[in-house]
Amino acid sequence: MKSTLRNMVFSLTGLTLFVGVALAVVSLITAQPIADAGRKARIAAMSDILPRFDNDILSEVIECEDGIFLYPATLEGVAVGAAVETYSDDGFSGRFSLIVGFDSSGVLKGYRVLEHAETPGLGAKMSDWFSMAGSRHCVLGTVGALSLSADGGDIDAITGATITSRAFIGAVNKARQAFDNYNTGANE
Amino acid sequence: MNNALNTIYDGLVRRNPTFVLVLGMCPTLGTTSSAFTGLSMGLATLLVLMCSNAAISVLKSLIPDKVRIPAYIVVIASFVTIVQMVMQAWMPGLYSALGIFIPLIVVNCILLGRAEAYASKNNVLLSICDGVGIGLGFTCALTLIGIVREVLGTGAVFGIQVYDSDFGALLFVLAPGAFIVLGLLIALFNRINVK
Amino acid sequence: MLAYLSIIFSAILVNNIVFTQFLGICPFVGVSKNLDSAFGMGMAVTFVMALATAVTWLLQHYVLLPFNLVYIQTIVFILVIAVLVQMLEIIMKKTSPSLYAALGVFLPLITTNCAVLGVAIIVAQKNFDFLYSVVYAVATALGFSLALILFAGIRTQLALSDVPRSMQGVPIALITAGILAMAFMVFSGIKL
Repeated sequence: MKSTLRNMVFSLTGLTLFVGVALAVVSLITAQPIADAGRKARIAAMSDILPRFDNDILSEVIECEDGIFLYPATLEGVAVGAAVETYSDDGFSGRFSLIVGFDSSGVLKGYRVLEHAETPGLGAKMSDWFSMAGSRHCVLGTVGALSLSADGGDIDAITGATITSRAFIGAVNKARQAFDNYNTGANE
Repeated sequence: MNNALNTIYDGLVRRNPTFVLVLGMCPTLGTTSSAFTGLSMGLATLLVLMCSNAAISVLKSLIPDKVRIPAYIVVIASFVTIVQMVMQAWMPGLYSALGIFIPLIVVNCILLGRAEAYASKNNVLLSICDGVGIGLGFTCALTLIGIVREVLGTGAVFGIQVYDSDFGALLFVLAPGAFIVLGLLIALFNRINVK
Repeated sequence: MLAYLSIIFSAILVNNIVFTQFLGICPFVGVSKNLDSAFGMGMAVTFVMALATAVTWLLQHYVLLPFNLVYIQTIVFILVIAVLVQMLEIIMKKTSPSLYAALGVFLPLITTNCAVLGVAIIVAQKNFDFLYSVVYAVATALGFSLALILFAGIRTQLALSDVPRSMQGVPIALITAGILAMAFMVFSGIKL
């Protein structure tokens, strides 16, 4: 087509309008699935780290302090524990966030790392390192505040990633603190 | 038909976008820390390239010559956005693994290059074949780099352990390994093509 | 103040855009054959990246977010960058021929430099405020320039050495870049 001004303006405007409408349609179609995908992933993570529950757990969130969220879980109206979303800024490469599950007596049942940018093969191992049953670095089943064996505690750090491990334990302790505050408040 | 197959073969081997033309290096380095992410990135690019080639080939007579580049960019960017939204909705895990490299398909020189050099001059079928060929070449290259890095770095291929991960050289999963593996593979391709 | 120093340090050295985020590799390999052009390219990218980030930040916060149009973000950003580069080229040609002579040839190459679009998108995703975004963009671009200039220095030496035939050109450049990336790993994990 000839490059007259009229042609150029018309063709570009037409193309942009068409594309804009097409994208609006696709975004309408995908908006719900995108929202659901995030919810589903979170609920799946919580089902793995909590005792069985049947409440709509995401809607009953309590903000404990800046950036820490607590999700109480109930089964037929009885409290069975809570999941705590926590984070650390002390990791090797920026903030990472995780979610920790406690049962009603305060036993740590499990955790899931939600987002992180730690080094693959070193810090990134935290996703399963601290949940290997029977190892000296398993945090499952603990009831009190934790610390690394390098700091006088009894949890072994990830080999070659002490900074990440310390940040991880710090984040778990923050979650524990939030849960204890909530739990004593609920029992009184 | 022969012509179409030839176009595909051309993109896959003789003018492989990664190893021979050395285009689109950012995703090539950034998404190949494992074979699976490399393969996925390749397929996402293949899909966008195929669609944009087809669309541009259809629209070529309607686009005035002087504004063709912005028009191509709009077409490419809209397909990228569609792929981005669809992945976010139905493949959220993969979407977060590839991260910013999905929207950055827009500035992958391969796409604009094929639009300008091929789709704007050929019919729809051949343009789609060109997209498939070049896209497959890119996908194979990314997968190959991903396999090499994953095997050397963690001792696994597509997540299946080949040897104990303690013997893996972590360097290959990290940034320097990406540069070194790509450099060596291009050298290997040069060697094969010269003979 | 410390927050800004920290972001500058981290964007230039710790999270160098070329060596840790793999953005802007094409000009990094393509325009690093000699020091002068590496310096010119670095300055041109710094200029465009700061301007592009400022404009896209304003668009993101005053147009795309209020009107729920985030889904056309990619299209808008890339068009803004393309238009900016064009305008910059025209203005520079008219007002400052000497600057144009120095940076002009690099401008068309910048539109397809994924680092520019990449930074605009990262800033939008991370929800930085305006000043922080511009500082981040300038620091990132300086990191890019540093990488480019270092690499150009090495490549002028490399041009004099005897490299096996199939390794000549891009392969040996990439392997050198890998070793340079290893050197930059020394900064990883450092916080200010």
